[in-house]
Amino acid sequence: MGDLRISDLRIPIGSFFVLVGAILCVTGLAADYQAPLESANVNLLCGVSMVVFGAIMLLLASRRRRS
Amino acid sequence: MRLAPVDYLILALYFVFVLSIGWIVKRKVATSADFLTSGRSVPVWITSLAFIAANLGAQEVIGMCASGAKYGIMTAHFYWIGAVPAMLFVGVFMMPFYYGSRARSVPEYLKLRFDEKTRALNAITFAIMTVFSSGISMYALGLLFELVLHWSFTASVLLSAAIVLVYTFLGGLTSAIYNEVLQFFLIVLGFAPLAIFVVIKNGGWSGMASRLPAVMTHTWRYAAHSSENPMGVEVFGLVAGLGFVLSFGYWCTDFLVVQRAMAAESMSAARRTPLIAAFPKMIMPFVVIVPGIAAIALSHMALGYSIPLKPGGGPDYDQTLTTLMAQFYPSGMLGLGLTALMASFMSGMAGNVTAFNTVWTYDLYQGHIRKHAPDAHYLWVGRLTTVAGVALSIGTAYLASRFNNIMDFLQLVFGFVNAPLFATFLLGMFWKRATGHGAFAGLLAGTGAAALTHGLTVAEGKGGWLGTVVHTFPSTMAQNFWIAIFAWSTCFLVTALVSWMSAPKAESELHNLVYGFTEIPHQQVSWYKRPALLAVIVIAALVVLNLLFW
Repeated sequence: MGDLRISDLRIPIGSFFVLVGAILCVTGLAADYQAPLESANVNLLCGVSMVVFGAIMLLLASRRRRS
Repeated sequence: MRLAPVDYLILALYFVFVLSIGWIVKRKVATSADFLTSGRSVPVWITSLAFIAANLGAQEVIGMCASGAKYGIMTAHFYWIGAVPAMLFVGVFMMPFYYGSRARSVPEYLKLRFDEKTRALNAITFAIMTVFSSGISMYALGLLFELVLHWSFTASVLLSAAIVLVYTFLGGLTSAIYNEVLQFFLIVLGFAPLAIFVVIKNGGWSGMASRLPAVMTHTWRYAAHSSENPMGVEVFGLVAGLGFVLSFGYWCTDFLVVQRAMAAESMSAARRTPLIAAFPKMIMPFVVIVPGIAAIALSHMALGYSIPLKPGGGPDYDQTLTTLMAQFYPSGMLGLGLTALMASFMSGMAGNVTAFNTVWTYDLYQGHIRKHAPDAHYLWVGRLTTVAGVALSIGTAYLASRFNNIMDFLQLVFGFVNAPLFATFLLGMFWKRATGHGAFAGLLAGTGAAALTHGLTVAEGKGGWLGTVVHTFPSTMAQNFWIAIFAWSTCFLVTALVSWMSAPKAESELHNLVYGFTEIPHQQVSWYKRPALLAVIVIAALVVLNLLFW
């Protein structure tokens, strides 16, 4: 035990959200899926936020790793 | 609700990630302690998020949204007074005994502090209860997916159970905890946008409030009398029943959540776990309850949205969350929303399975069946118990789909067993004179008092099975709060009385178990890591939230 610690868990979580966010961004830009009651581009908005969240996780993990 | 390929892609990606986390953790599991208690090595931010995620099951998410639609913002009491104060208490006052005693589970603490019979009583009821509740939530999930997506009940139950089984089997508690963190973020990022979009559609909070009866947008203003609010509760029952007995009984003694804190890497981290968890817990009402309230306001806007009706008439509030998702999420985000629902289900189920594992393996198997086996044997038993726990949950899910009445009955009985628990722990931890006989008698008497209260009172046609009706409550919620109050008080008095009459435990045996005989380590931690300071900040934030939504 012990070596799968802080920095390591941020990597899978960060990667997951970067990947899912990217899929949502692509969907938002390429497909014209529309929710019945919402006119905003939900996929693009949420996708971008998830990419940002995931990237912050990865950034924190890599900074921890270097120090 | 129709799904596009991208929705399935996101769901599949999530499955891949949870399974690979289990796979990575598997390599580190060498002993039964690694598997069942995480070897006390998990960093505090992880245990904190797991602490609330284990409680954030699918029933919680769907149910809280439903309650938001039914009762309004008063539902937030289940978080603000029904969870946060108890989380502060367990972190500041109780964790030194749980963690310091080196007990591996909550029932084991009872054995060290009191005696074997008290532990056995707690361990057995807890083990049955966890399997039961994971089965019930599996049933709820299968039913919902059948209704909304037309997926087969069997397929969704078996698929989700199989995935939970694989990752808990591989990595045990650590794997469950690590996945709970991923699941927590997924739940928040999956549902928070929904809350934002629905509230914006309503023209903000003020727009919502203008379309709703005032009672739905205030937490305390209508709480004084049961006739003024849709919950049918009055302020004393609310504060004493929910805010004290039920809330402290769950957050301070339920091994499902306490286990997460006990897995922390140090005493200081264990104490901070529930305190840090209190911050996201306070915010959760905005993610899970507000969409429900907004849904009702939305249904008054002539947009064609309304809460679906039950086959027998009356709104089916449990469908609030999924119908909102269908209206506000296009394919893509819709897949993510459903994945978040799946994640909430899995975090709840894995929480139950891992807690069941530890209690079965250490408290029942090692305690009563085979005492002195090599550690590898208990690791093997722990793994096998994972399979058994999942299988039993699936069985319960099917039982629930066949015999709904039995499930309601069992849920009621478990409520009676749980209600008095906190009195036992409070006396055990803070009164050196409390004895094993006292604790055991108190628990039985408390459970009896709960049953008696239910038998003598009536609410919405429930209870009153003893023939004479002493009191009629305006709602079953009020009835539950008062059952808890009577159960707790009885347990407290009987434990104290019987303790006085029985021989006390030698003071030398109370070391690290009771207040006054425990050295609470004053490690040189930075000021921002001190439990008392964190607790004060949480209380201040809590007061502000309650005033804002008074």
